[in-house]
Amino acid sequence: MTRTAIPRKNNGTVRKATPSRYGAGRPGLLWAAPAAVFFGLFAIIPLIMVAVLSFTAWDGLSDPEFVGLANWRTLLDDPLMAKSLWLSVLITALGVIVQTALSILLGVWAAGHQRNRAVLSAIYVVPLLLSIAAVSVLWRALLDPNLGVPAQVPWLFGDGNLFGTQSSAIAVLVFVSTWQFTPLHTLIYQGAARAVPPVLYQAAEIDGAGRVRQFFHVTLPQLRNAIITSTILMVVGGLTTFDTVLILTQGGPGSDTTISAYYMYQKAFKSFDYGSASAIALLLVLVSTLISLIVARLSGYDKMRSTMEGL
Amino acid sequence: MKQRARFSRTVLVGGAALALVVSLSGCGGGSDAAGDDAIHVLVYGDAANKVEKELVATFNKTSEVKVVLDTIPGADYQAKLQTIIRSKQAPDVFFNWGGGSIKPFVDAGLLLPLDPFVAKNPDLKAKFLPSVFNSAVVDGKSYGIPMRGTQPVLLFNNGEVLRKAGVQPPKTWDELLEAVEALKADGVTPIALGGGDRWPTLMWFEYLYDRIAGPGLFQKALDGDKSAWASPDSRKALGKIRELVDAGAFGTNYDSVKFTDQGSPTLLAAGKAGFELMGSWEYSTQQDAHPEFAKSDLGYGAFPAVEGGKGNRDNLVGNTNNFYSVLKKTKHPDAVAEFLKLMYSDQFVKAQLGIGNLPTTTNTEQFLDTAASPKFAKLQYDMVENAPAFQLSWDQAYPQSAATAMYRALQQFFNGSTDENTFIEAMQALPTS
Repeated sequence: MTRTAIPRKNNGTVRKATPSRYGAGRPGLLWAAPAAVFFGLFAIIPLIMVAVLSFTAWDGLSDPEFVGLANWRTLLDDPLMAKSLWLSVLITALGVIVQTALSILLGVWAAGHQRNRAVLSAIYVVPLLLSIAAVSVLWRALLDPNLGVPAQVPWLFGDGNLFGTQSSAIAVLVFVSTWQFTPLHTLIYQGAARAVPPVLYQAAEIDGAGRVRQFFHVTLPQLRNAIITSTILMVVGGLTTFDTVLILTQGGPGSDTTISAYYMYQKAFKSFDYGSASAIALLLVLVSTLISLIVARLSGYDKMRSTMEGL
Repeated sequence: MKQRARFSRTVLVGGAALALVVSLSGCGGGSDAAGDDAIHVLVYGDAANKVEKELVATFNKTSEVKVVLDTIPGADYQAKLQTIIRSKQAPDVFFNWGGGSIKPFVDAGLLLPLDPFVAKNPDLKAKFLPSVFNSAVVDGKSYGIPMRGTQPVLLFNNGEVLRKAGVQPPKTWDELLEAVEALKADGVTPIALGGGDRWPTLMWFEYLYDRIAGPGLFQKALDGDKSAWASPDSRKALGKIRELVDAGAFGTNYDSVKFTDQGSPTLLAAGKAGFELMGSWEYSTQQDAHPEFAKSDLGYGAFPAVEGGKGNRDNLVGNTNNFYSVLKKTKHPDAVAEFLKLMYSDQFVKAQLGIGNLPTTTNTEQFLDTAASPKFAKLQYDMVENAPAFQLSWDQAYPQSAATAMYRALQQFFNGSTDENTFIEAMQALPTS
């Protein structure tokens, strides 16, 4: 650290002198350091520890005992594991379909110029502000067969055994997630729909396209990136759904809504079998990554083309 | 100057970081330091903590080593307990359900056998009802001192609903089936059941297995003889359950009803159901939520006898009691032994009775008049005292690791989605140790 070293260093940096093609303010690697440290501490290291645990038998009390592939073998033979993965995928898929349809319609509508739109837009965001746990408790009470809504409208709900059959329990789970998260995706679509250049609609109108054709031929194609963003959020959210199941169905009736994330929780914190739970956790990481990659590939998102000028 | 400034900034930042680390570890160290001159007692956090706080205050008045009461509320008590028990935050003394609920802790060598305490002070054993004291004995050693109260499962009823339907509280299985028909004809759900919680469903299995096969079958199965589940008596018990469910005794939406959110107790209190099979805490639950009903129409009695069954009609199932267990690592075993003496004191008994609990000490009887409902306390006390057998709830008798699979098997057989063979296989697959 001599005095002469400093100016020489400054002179030596070629990059700073010539403007780079990425622009002057391009963040260096150092900018990522805080995030990288946190990611390492709270994601990578635990992930490695979970991987190690998945080869042990551990009840949290005695010392972990190395058992090799035993947990993995039982897991692959476990019909409940396969069932839970299928249920995770099913509930996610149902959620994506229902929420996407609803939130595109709501989002596009909310991007318009109707009267009272601002007020209504503000109201429908309310569910998003509540915690999932609170929302689940609320719906559990509202859907009680004897004291809730089903008792008042028997023609719609029958005997109200909504949590007692697989199909209705799944329907409730999808409904509650939809109720809570549609506003978020609506916001995404509203923003995207507002960004559609009005000239496109003017041109379409001149060409004689009605509102429906405008929607399918102008709005929807222009929402493509929003659809990808929102779908990935839904898939990730769907695969990691846990709170609603914990509070609404506890995986029941029987094991009919025991999705993988909940099955993992049962193994770890109900059965105190941390080895198997860790194996499920890793499996979930693998499956989620795989599905994300598939979504990215199908949507062309992997090319990461930026549509912003200059980047 | 510049160098200097830089240096001091480094010191400042470094110092701040160090201070943060120190203060963070200070949090852990704080309770640790307290652990040196205090006993941490961990209890399930609920309304009954009132009594525990009273006892701790009494103890701390005279003791040099102070007791600190920690509480964990909610259904996750067991999970949280198991998570902290090997950590620095582990308590010295903790609340549990005896039996299988503490077996893993015993196996892991974490618990202190209490027999030396009893040898020094025989009252620690002699002042409690033997059947209760013994349900915290694991591998021949005592690991728990009874606390709080006993919780037998009783068949509660709504007197007004029964009167309207012309039904008496059933003494036999056939009378129960007749009552079901009469109540159905009257347009109410015969029996309220919080099937969504699953443990209320378990109570029907526990009683029918006891009445038909006697308490021996479950004990055999718990001891590792899995053939017990496939025995003719086991199949007969399952047949009776099927018969009752198929008769519409529980209606059709019981799996969507919970006890824990007041669902099933409200059905009983509101006159929409005739009976509910529930732990003795049903009384305080109703007294809390529906005081008028608890006072006037809430009836209770023993589970009916089953004709031709091997089990005595006086047998009980439920939670025999709660217990305090002691960790081996405690630094103050003598003070803990002193604290545990309070669990048979007059003050303890009166305070528990006052909040509706029924302690299982030998001196309980003389204070029954001070109970929240002396009549209910007296009946319960007589039942517990006279019971030839008191079966600890299956989910507490089995190790925790069995609970999820057990609940699954129960719920699926009960609602008809699996048959008895599947149930038997599932029960045989449960870990017993």
